[in-house]
Parts: sequence; C-alpha cells; structure tokens
Amino acid sequence: MDQLEIKNLTLAFGGIVALQQVNMKIRKGEIHAVIGPNGAGKTSLFNCISGVYKPIEGNILFERESVLNRKPHQIASLGIARTFQNIELFRHMSVIDNLLLGRHHRFRSGPLSGIFFWGRALREEIKHRQKVEEVIDFLEIEKVRKKVVGTLPYGIQKRVELGRALAMEPKILLLDEPTSGMNVEETEDIARFVLDIKEELEVTVIMVEHDIAMVMDIADWITVLNFGSKIAEGTPSEIQINSKVIEAYLGEES
Amino acid sequence: MINRQLSMNESFLPLDTIPKLFLKNVRAHGHRVALREKDLGIWKRLTWSDYYEHVRDFAMGLKALGFEPGDKVSILGDNCCEWLYADLSAQSLHGIAVGIYPTDVAGQVKYILKNSDSKFVVARDQEQVDKVLQVKGELPLLKKVIVIDMKGLRRYKDPLIISFDETEKMGRRLHEQMPNFFEESIRSTRAEEVAIIVYTSGTTGDPKGAMISHKGMISMVRGLSQILDFRSSDSVVSVLPLCHIAERMFSLIFPMYVGYTVNFAESVNTLQEDMKEISPTAFLNVPRIWEKMHSNIMIRMQDAIFVKQWVFKAMVPIGERVSRYKLENKPVPRLWRFLHWIAYFTLFRALKNQLGLLQTRIFVSGAAPLSPDLVKFYHSVGVPVRECYGMTEMSGISFMPKDHEIRVGGVGKPIPGVEFKLGKDGEIFQKGDSVFVGYYGSPQATQDTIVDGWLHTGDVGQVDEEGILYLTDRKKDIIITAGGKNIAPSEIENKLKFSPFIKEAIVIGDRRKYLSCLIQIDLENVSNWAQNNKIAYTTYKSLATHSEVYKLIGKEVEEVNKHFSRVETIKKFKILEKELDPDDEELTATMKVKRAVIEKKFKDIIEAMY
Repeated sequence: MDQLEIKNLTLAFGGIVALQQVNMKIRKGEIHAVIGPNGAGKTSLFNCISGVYKPIEGNILFERESVLNRKPHQIASLGIARTFQNIELFRHMSVIDNLLLGRHHRFRSGPLSGIFFWGRALREEIKHRQKVEEVIDFLEIEKVRKKVVGTLPYGIQKRVELGRALAMEPKILLLDEPTSGMNVEETEDIARFVLDIKEELEVTVIMVEHDIAMVMDIADWITVLNFGSKIAEGTPSEIQINSKVIEAYLGEES
Repeated sequence: MINRQLSMNESFLPLDTIPKLFLKNVRAHGHRVALREKDLGIWKRLTWSDYYEHVRDFAMGLKALGFEPGDKVSILGDNCCEWLYADLSAQSLHGIAVGIYPTDVAGQVKYILKNSDSKFVVARDQEQVDKVLQVKGELPLLKKVIVIDMKGLRRYKDPLIISFDETEKMGRRLHEQMPNFFEESIRSTRAEEVAIIVYTSGTTGDPKGAMISHKGMISMVRGLSQILDFRSSDSVVSVLPLCHIAERMFSLIFPMYVGYTVNFAESVNTLQEDMKEISPTAFLNVPRIWEKMHSNIMIRMQDAIFVKQWVFKAMVPIGERVSRYKLENKPVPRLWRFLHWIAYFTLFRALKNQLGLLQTRIFVSGAAPLSPDLVKFYHSVGVPVRECYGMTEMSGISFMPKDHEIRVGGVGKPIPGVEFKLGKDGEIFQKGDSVFVGYYGSPQATQDTIVDGWLHTGDVGQVDEEGILYLTDRKKDIIITAGGKNIAPSEIENKLKFSPFIKEAIVIGDRRKYLSCLIQIDLENVSNWAQNNKIAYTTYKSLATHSEVYKLIGKEVEEVNKHFSRVETIKKFKILEKELDPDDEELTATMKVKRAVIEKKFKDIIEAMY
C-alpha cells in the first residue's frame, strides 16, 4: 500500500525552480532513500512534505488525504515526524525534556490541571514519560538521559534528535542526513537503528543521505533527484547500474 | 545451625545444594525483595516468589525443549535477572550452567560452546546471537539459542532461535501439566553434582573449564560467612561479569545463603550512577576498578577549586594516621578521633557518596594483587578495603582477613574448611571441600593440578609469624635476572600503576641483564594533563610517542625506582603505541595482562631496549 504519494510536485522560489514535476510513491514499512548531488532539491522535498514550504503545483497525499493545506504542526499530528540536517534541539534542556517535547501534541491536560499536577495531568505525565523511556532504551542513551543536550557530543545529539522524532510515535519518519559528520562506527550505529525502526517499530522511513554505501546497504527503494527533477528510481542494485545516476554523480564522459 | 533452620520450614531437607537454598529463601521470605533491575529509568523489584516463578517457568521451558539431566546451558551476555534465572534453572534440573564473557569474540565463544558440549545457549541480545549463529555450523550439539532481548531479531528466520519469554510461556504450560516436577527436581539435587563450569580467564593458553560442585560452593560460603558478616538486609550491585567466579559468589551463592538483595544496573555505561542510587552495603571489585576510581578522584582534585584542594590535602593525612592506628589494632587517641570526625564530615563522607559507597560495610578486592599504596589510600579515606585470595579452582575465595587481620599486602588466613601449606619454592597448596572437581574434558590437566587432594595453585607466597599470607606473584611470572636474583614483577608493576598516568605496566627481565618495562598510559588522565600543559595531540598514539609524555612517565618511573634496590630498578621503558585490548587477546576478559602474548607481540620493542 502506498502510504505517501507525491504527485507532480513543483516548488519554485521566484524564478528558481527547486522541484519540478516530482512523482514518488512510498510504500508502508519500507526504507526509502532520496539521493542526489548538492542542490538537487532533497531537503526542499522534505520541507514540502512537512509543510514548511508550499508547492506551487501538485499534491502530497498521506494515506490518501492531501496534506497541502495543513500547517506543519497539523502534519506532525497526522504522524509525519522529521529530523534536520543541522541539529535543531533545545540546547539548554535535558534529553528527557527534549524527548517529551516530541510528545507535546499528544498532551491533553491544560495549564490549570498542570499546576495542581494530580489526577489526569499526573497520569498523563507518567504515560508520556514511559513512552520517552522506551525510546531512550531503544536508542541506548540511558547514560545521558538527564544531561543537558548542549553538553553532549555531536553523534549523541543526532541520536537524541532521532529520539525526539520517535517519541512522536510517527507513521512516517523523515531523516535528513542522519549520519552527516559522523565517523564510521557512529554511522554503523545509526544504520542499525534505522533498520530497527523499520522492523521493530514498523515505521516507514524516508531518508536523505549522502553516504551511498549505507544507502545501498539498508534502503529498499531509492529515488534519485538532480536539479529538482527525478532522474531515476528503483532498488539499490538497479540504481547502481543506472547510467543517468552515474552521469549525475560523476559527470558526462567527454 | 543450618539444619535447625530448615527443620522449621522444611521436613528434613539438607541445605546442601544451591537450588535447595533457593527454595528455602522462597519459603522463608517469599514477599521480600530478591532482585532489583533498572528498566526504563525505574528500579523494578522482584520478590523471592517472583524470582522462583521465573526460574520454575524457565526450567520447565528448558525441559519442554528437550533438556536432560547433565546437559549444559551456556549463558552469554551482560548481567541481568535472566542470567540468574537461566543459571538456577539449569542447576535445578541437574544440569550445568556455563558462563561466557560478553566481550568474547565469535571464535572464543565457539571454543567454549564446543569444549563444554553445550546444548542450549541463552544469549542476551542481537550482538551475542550473531556470534553464536556465525559458528553454529561447527556446533552439532546445539539445540536452541534462547534470546533474552529480541530487539533487531525479527528478520532472523533461523529455527534455532526462540525468545526467553516464549520459553517461559512453554514452561508455564508444562508446569500446569506436571505441577510437582520442578520442586521434586530441586529436592533431588545432590551435593556432589557439578553445578557450574567456570572457564578460567587463562593468562596462558586456552581457557579451561573448571567444574564446581554444589558441595564446593556451599562449603566455601559456609566458611566465608564466618568471617564476613553478611546479613539478609544487605544489598549488592552486580558489577563484574557473572561468568567470573567472584561475581557468581556475590550475585548467586551469597544471596542464596543469606537471602540478600542483588541489583542490576541499567547498562554497563550507567553503572556509576546506578551505584550511587543503590548505595550497596557490600562491594567487591578487581584492582583495575579500584585503580580507576582512585585516579578519577586524583584528577578531579587537580581540577577542583583551591579550597577543595586544600581540604583534601589537609584531611587525607588525618585519615592516614587514624587508619595506621586501626591497621595496627591500637586504640585511636581522643584527639585523632576528633580530627577524624572533622575529616569525615568535610571530606570522606562526600567522597564515599560520590563513589556510591556511603552505605557500604564490606569492601573486598580480589582476582589480582592491589597496590599497597592504594590499600593505604582507601583505608585513609574510610574505605577499609580488604584483599582476599581466591581462585576459580577453590570455588571462589579461600583466604579472607578478619577485621583485625587486615594488613597492607596481606590476604589474611584461610577460611574455615580450607587447609594450606607452602611448597619448597613457596608455592601455595590448598585442600578442603571447596577444591573444584576437575577441568571439564581434560583429566590430564586435572591430575597436574590436584595431587593427593592438594590443589597446586601456581601462586607463590609467604606467611608471617601471625599466620597471615602475603602473595608474591604467579610462580611462572617470577623474574630471574641474569645475575640470579628473583624478582616479583607484580610488586613493581603495582607501584607503577599507582600513578594516575600509568594504566598498565609490564616488567620484563627474565634472564636478562637488567629490568625494563612496557607502559600503557592512561588516555583520559594523560590527555587531561596534555591539555593543561598545552600539548597538542590527536590520538592515543600521538600522545604515546610525544617526547613530553616520555618525560612525564620517566619522572614517574624514577619515583618508583627510589623504592627498590638497585637490581630491581627499571633501567629502560617504552610506552606502548596501542592500548591493550581483550579483543586483541592482550588482556583477559577481566583485564588481566596476558604476559606471554604481550612478550611475543612486542618482541621487537623489547629487544630494542637491550
């Protein structure tokens, strides 16, 4: 089943066309990688899906419903979570608080009951904390749960950001370069977590990634963008031998 | 006393096996907390009754999977409640539990599984399962791999794999069909049966599986409990790997005997914080960790503001003075008692709290000799650590000092039930009910080790006029210099390792003109020092080859040399350019140096010093 469908998506800033007539189908439960050279429009695509940018043409259907006229927070409530290329965490808050913020849209009790903090508000807090602790356990960040995010090493911060997205209990997870700036070992850890997210949590993953080796290892389906257009799609083995992809990455043979 | 206890609860059931002791605890205080495990950030408690149900269900599950008396179950993974369930289950069914270090690589895991004829493996997580699956082709006896944490294993279609929960469920169903089987199985366990096989860390050659019977463990704990005052209200944190006999004692044998509580940390990384939260009443660890704790304290003091530094410098000597009175069993004068009281509240209390040892009554160091300077330091700050002497082949501890027998460098007297004598060359021989049964599948090695009931330990020691044993070294490690002088390297090495900058030292010099030394620097502390002295570096290697670091270590070596006679001084040393690692077979899983491997591996470096 197609969980997310992107139809004829076109995005332009003034005269510059960032995305042109892009069509994509993301099936439920797959790891779908989006690759392409710098400036190909990968992050723009993510920003369209999460509602930050408004495309001038085309449609995005999530479970057969258009998300185009919704605000980013409404899209998040539908079950689309994301991480960012550059870490966007609250640096002065603890890991737990950052993760609890990921569940903000699920809190139902108001400020008044929060002041008294018993009954519903208390039960709700316990429920959400439980979920957050499950994410902490899943990502193996128990050691830092009470630490302030700004003091943590970069690789761990990336993991915390992934944790915040997971705490939302999303149906689709958009990962924007989850391994940028990481060493080999950290990259392997993230690859393992992405596979576990797919298999244990049964969350669909759409991932922008530059580490081609990792993409080829774990992706089920790959879409290749270049200058805002889709130039190829297929399984990793198909993409590896696609002449257009090789051309986009290595340049034309002269 | 034991027999009287049981006649109150049980009808003439001699408490001569671990499962029987377990049953006694369940009957005597089923509602009390037996285990705590931190899960999802919260300490979860299990009572003795819960504990019993898990063990019963898992044991019945094993039976449903085809477990027969005498079968071996290998347990592979970090410490957790399930580790103990599996251990007790195997023992209750007249089987044998075998522990494997979670840090072992696939080849070592294969060796132990094959050598022990294991039919079942209990693996903690995906990482451990992968190791077993990698070598399963060479293990024809293997029937099932039982997995505690199934995370990441969904796409594994191997029919060998079954989850721990599933096994317990099967067991519960079987228990409903035959409700008396499990308890009767426990009642029919016999003291002579081999209960566990513990693979020795093997500083030389392949590890050997020491078979330990119920009788061995119980006579050991009976003797030891007359020296260490364990209470059922005690609480320990399980810190060392459970497959090591020392942790097996603290997490399985002792709690079965006295009924205290065992706590499991959330993960290896969070151990220090979890220790603080639990504040155990008894703490056992290996010298490596005592060294680590000490160097952490020293580094933090260097970075502390001057007031704290001053307090530290002023108070530690007070503690030293008072601990000297105590070690000599003399009364502490009133003035010193008052000063000590001040020192306690200004420094020692906070320090112990930081280490998570505020509630601790019993401090034990074992498995290797602890540096005398460290012993003195810990005694000064109110952590009266006692060194014991034990070995796998003695079912655990065989020498433990009583309160008034604690001496720096001494390991006390043998526990009740153990006899000992010294050979001509000073080798220690031991005898008693706690001597192990033999090495599994290796009668020749057993014959070499146990002669006429005397266990040949391979350790060399001396006895003072009070009868307290002082260990010298491993017999085969004694260095005989070209000049014919016998030198115990561990004494010099321990002095060197007392420096916060030196993590590991290996003294070389057998049949050579003079002594030399290979040194591994402590990365954390030396890099801290480099930062403070504005020395640029990138990795361990760049630090290890830096000339300033050589000067720093040179000074430390000079300092140590002052304490020894001329033949015993280190003439040359070399800093190792890589960190020693169990994965590279340079250390055992308990972080003991494998001297032979290192001497072979770094042959060129050693030769260059002569």
